[in-house]
Amino acid sequence: VLSVSLGDLAGAYLEAIGDLTGDRLRHLSAFISVAAQLILIKSRALLPRPPEPPVGREQEPDPETELRERLILYRIHRDAAQRLAARLETGLRLHRREAAAALAAGRAGVSGYVARPLDPDLLPAALAGLIAIAPLPEPEPQLVRRTITLAERTAVLREALRNAPAVVLQDLLEGTRDRVLAAVTFLALLELVKQREVEVEQLIPWGPIECRLVTGPAAS
Amino acid sequence: VTEEDALARLSGAEPGPGETELRARDLEALLFIAERPLSRTEIRGLAGVDRETLDEVLGDLEVDLRDRGIRLVLSEDRVELATAPDAAPLLSRYLGADSFRLSPSALETIAIVAYRQPVTRALIERIRGVDSDHVLRSLLHRRLIVEHSRGEGVGRPIRYATSFEFLERFGITSLDDLPPLEAEVAERLVSDGSEEGSEVEAG
Repeated sequence: VLSVSLGDLAGAYLEAIGDLTGDRLRHLSAFISVAAQLILIKSRALLPRPPEPPVGREQEPDPETELRERLILYRIHRDAAQRLAARLETGLRLHRREAAAALAAGRAGVSGYVARPLDPDLLPAALAGLIAIAPLPEPEPQLVRRTITLAERTAVLREALRNAPAVVLQDLLEGTRDRVLAAVTFLALLELVKQREVEVEQLIPWGPIECRLVTGPAAS
Repeated sequence: VTEEDALARLSGAEPGPGETELRARDLEALLFIAERPLSRTEIRGLAGVDRETLDEVLGDLEVDLRDRGIRLVLSEDRVELATAPDAAPLLSRYLGADSFRLSPSALETIAIVAYRQPVTRALIERIRGVDSDHVLRSLLHRRLIVEHSRGEGVGRPIRYATSFEFLERFGITSLDDLPPLEAEVAERLVSDGSEEGSEVEAG
């Protein structure tokens, strides 16, 4: 440890850290831990030490021994990792039966081994084919504006009364499901009453509304 | 009642009445149709045999399969059938190329887990001397290691172990087949075990 320059070591380490991307804080803290241990070992090796430890004081673990053991332990596992890597390189792996996947692949006629790589142009062609067979989306429903005028409905009422002496409003609107049409017709009828052109009669509430043309002096 | 016993009971793996015999060929058939590794408890429950009998039959089956294209794979309490490592070249031609690479740091970490399992992150970092959180997460994500158990010390740290995926990837049928460490070193690791264990729990 006396021959190792800690300054050079720190310089080399910082240079390596500089090349790293991402979270470097963890690597720095690990280095500080190792460097502190090295400094302690080196300082103890350089400075004179008492010949015997004080009586009654527990012997502290020797950091140099600790570090050496740790490095040996690391080397052992690093070597083991290299042997595992060599084993991995051979590609002699095990395969298990994957029943569900194998069954699905068999049904689909899939073979895992493809002799020649597929042409990448097949992908856009397949997409174009898919688009061609896809049904067009349903058009969104549109709201159509409709205009029903009092004049139109007044004309209808006049025409009905011209052909008959009396008209029942409910009969005139029979089959009409449009509430707006019914309402405007009713308003047109009221307008004709207001103008004294038509008179109406309803004997019972909700009963038939009978309409007649006004005759005589009132009509003029 | 352990969790595994409870699961075995729920899955209907209760001992059948009068079933006291288990032949190696029956066990082979059972493992052949199983869609996952089976625990010894499950097999014992299904066959109605005791632990010694099952171990004996597993040993017989392992010997029977030694020269066959399939192997018995054992990981702790669990058992499965897998293809023999030397059949891999042919199978890879059928299944397609399967490139699998691990970084040096991942290999170092998995070596420590493999030889010292179950092992905490603290011990891994003590051996490697660097933070190993990221590499552990990566190995977990690749299903090469699993969270095995929890330590008894402060914070109950997670203890990691290798998985079936690890055995399959490295072509190993049992952890006993791992490449041996140096003899002296292995001795030292064994003698260090208890001391290191207590240190790890505290970390």
